Amino acid sequence: MHSAYAQDAAALTHGNANRRRKRWKQNIPLLILFAPIVAFFIIFKYAPMAGLVIAFKNYTFSEGIWGSDWVGLKNFRQLFTNPQSITIIRNTLFLSCLNIVVGFPFPIALAIMLNEARKQWFKRIVQTLVYLPHFLSWVIVGGLVVTIFAQETGFVNHLVKMWTGEPYPFLYKDGSWIAIFVGSGIWKGAGWGAIIYLAALTSIDQHLYEAASMDGAGKWRQIWHVTLPGISSTIVVMFILNLGNVMEVGFDQVFMLQNSVVSGVSEVISTYIYRVGLQGAQFSLTTAMGLFESVIGLILVLTANRIARRFGQSLW
Amino acid sequence: MKDTWGEKIFYRFNYVLLALAGLACLLPIVHVASVSLSEPHAVMSGSVALWPVGWSVESYATLIEGTNIVRAFKNNVVITLVGVVLSMIATIMAAYPLSRSYFYWRRRFTLAIVFTMLFGGGLIPTYLIIKSLGLIDSYGALWLPGLVSAFNMLVLKTYFEGLPVEMEEAARMDGCSEWRLIAQIVLPLSMPVLAALTLFYAVGYWNAFMSVLIYINSPEKHNMAVLVQQMVQSQSLLQEINGIQQEDIKQMTPEGVKTAGILVMIVPMMIVYPFLQKYFVKGVMIGAVKG
Repeated sequence: MHSAYAQDAAALTHGNANRRRKRWKQNIPLLILFAPIVAFFIIFKYAPMAGLVIAFKNYTFSEGIWGSDWVGLKNFRQLFTNPQSITIIRNTLFLSCLNIVVGFPFPIALAIMLNEARKQWFKRIVQTLVYLPHFLSWVIVGGLVVTIFAQETGFVNHLVKMWTGEPYPFLYKDGSWIAIFVGSGIWKGAGWGAIIYLAALTSIDQHLYEAASMDGAGKWRQIWHVTLPGISSTIVVMFILNLGNVMEVGFDQVFMLQNSVVSGVSEVISTYIYRVGLQGAQFSLTTAMGLFESVIGLILVLTANRIARRFGQSLW
Repeated sequence: MKDTWGEKIFYRFNYVLLALAGLACLLPIVHVASVSLSEPHAVMSGSVALWPVGWSVESYATLIEGTNIVRAFKNNVVITLVGVVLSMIATIMAAYPLSRSYFYWRRRFTLAIVFTMLFGGGLIPTYLIIKSLGLIDSYGALWLPGLVSAFNMLVLKTYFEGLPVEMEEAARMDGCSEWRLIAQIVLPLSMPVLAALTLFYAVGYWNAFMSVLIYINSPEKHNMAVLVQQMVQSQSLLQEINGIQQEDIKQMTPEGVKTAGILVMIVPMMIVYPFLQKYFVKGVMIGAVKG
């Protein structure tokens, strides 16, 4: 009796060892594939995170990242007492919030409209056209904007001149610059953003529409009571993803559109880091600003995700 | 079922709005193309709308002779081709192991990669690392830091995970090695998503701007984005300093040449775009469903 148990146990451990050896053998090719990837992420993603320590140092080229002196929170203190950097942080928040608040509904509306288009050829053509701007870089979009709104040679000002006799400096006035900034973002991104909602729309049960129309719901009510609730979880997830980027208006977009006349509203963290940090060699100070930006961004994503989880939606 | 009166209005209205949205995306490009093909006088007065006024290819002649656009175009091709090949290989190398259930620490590795999507070192520390690796002013600085996009990697991983397990098991029964499994079963089955990711990487490398601006110092290594940006900016800089005066206009990059430069950057993309469209929508959908 006793010996039979021992035999079983031995067989079991033997089997375990066998399985482990098998798993190890299976893993060898995977590890060969994955080792360079680990190296990549360590060198190009995690090493820069470690490099963030220079935000707490007085970085000098001769001493390097690790050799430079610690200065504690001096860089941060400087950052938050300098009126210029406070303006920049405010601009960043303002422009990106505007981008989100104004721009967020466009892809949703576009997706719903495309979903309601019944002529397939028409739908396909419109889709092809609205996705296109996503593939143009900000350099191109910026070039288009400058071409169209240029003071003397731009077509818009040609019309304005015919109308009022005077050209209007669209890119050199704070208000119109902000409008163009937000508008160009929508132009470039709305179509592409709609893809995800279109995917979500395909999963709505068509019977719900039939039932709704039986009950006498018009098109608007159907959209309000069937379509929108049907994609609400996607909307929440996309909103979280957007919130994560609140601290970050893309460098390229601002860089291409900004000019010194409107720098009071157009200078943002990323362009400041480029100009003052990289070109002005203020490494520690601007790293502190970058770190502040990243940490706020991270907190925002985590918070938004927690809130979303309370509503039964979350990213992870 | 027949449409009610309200529905008819709704559909009409919807078609009109959609047509407007589509045109809004197309017309600026048509306008810029027209400007680039118009004669300088018409361009100066801003009267070119959606059709060239006084056809002229002078702008393109000036662009090719007077600027480094040809070299920049070649650089773009090199940056894009090499970059896409490297990125695709690396993305497959990352996604495949992470998609296997028997891979060690698969969850931990995935989490570590997703974390890099949420938090990063930022511009300056990354620059210092690249500099210390001696990559400044070489295309390595463009290819290596962006080798694997975490998002693309997740899309591919999700797709690999969705492939039918039975096929894999059958292949293993027949004594198929991991390498053959990848080369002859997994990758051929993943062609749609691979095509989508190739397009995403290609667009990224083709449009690369900030990385070139930061890491590449030699003008002869610049790509089209940086060249076009300089041409576009040459005007606005002068405008800021001097206001608009006739004599300054000579020093600017003429409007026509700028728009020609923009067009040269757009056209190659417009050519491949229709062929790849069906793939990239699929690619995004896969990412979205997981999202």
